[in-house]
Amino acid sequence: MTVMNADEIRKLLPHRWPFLLLDRVIELKPGVSGVGIKNVTISEPFFEGHFPNESIMPGVLIVEALAQMTAVVYCTGALQTMREAEQEAAATAEAQAVESTEEVDISSRVGYLVAIRDMKFMKPVAPGDQLLLKVKIGRSLGILSKVNVAAYVGKECVVEGTLSVSQRP
Amino acid sequence: MLTYQETKEKAEKRRELTERIKVIIVERLNLDMDPNLITDDQPLFGRGLGLDSIDALELFVVIEDEFGVTIYDDNMEVFGSVNKLADYILENIEE
Repeated sequence: MTVMNADEIRKLLPHRWPFLLLDRVIELKPGVSGVGIKNVTISEPFFEGHFPNESIMPGVLIVEALAQMTAVVYCTGALQTMREAEQEAAATAEAQAVESTEEVDISSRVGYLVAIRDMKFMKPVAPGDQLLLKVKIGRSLGILSKVNVAAYVGKECVVEGTLSVSQRP
Repeated sequence: MLTYQETKEKAEKRRELTERIKVIIVERLNLDMDPNLITDDQPLFGRGLGLDSIDALELFVVIEDEFGVTIYDDNMEVFGSVNKLADYILENIEE
């Protein structure tokens, strides 16, 4: 069920330890939607201080994990569009003029988070929980897009809300 | 030619629409102000009401949800004022 493993994610996203909060992608419709996994362990650096006597994953970091999953959906979408354009160009025998996908550093295309709206944190997330990160790109206006996001532990929804993201201008 | 009654009804409808738009703007964008303080021709962005592009995305979504009217990238001037927004909605609304 793995669509993308951690190494492949690292090739796509610029995030690194301790801030890469996505272990695996299990469903992916480039540019449309996706589902990822984040396994939460007691070894996470933030549990040191959040909190010394009660380990709870900070809600904002769950939002960050959802934003990273959004970046994967976005980037793979952009990559696909680029490949299609390339094929089209190749078909018209102008292949040389077009930048090859391999040469493009896709991680530089990761956009920015511009708004977090109506975010609900239903249940604390603790070490041992597996976060299921579901994102769906919604409507867009110009370079901005709405993204519906939700995180699940098992069948239970723990975080739900809407993000707005911007493409890199 | 419209009769006096028809003109009056039309104006009334229009006023209801602009008021509804103002309430939507204030509620959806969490503005700390009375909707009645927004005037019909006041610019919504920049020096006017001070909205930004992130608010525009929000407004675009709510206009589509409330009125079933879609605003496109190339007619962003629709967001110029409450009056322009009302004109656009009236032109494009499905009866």
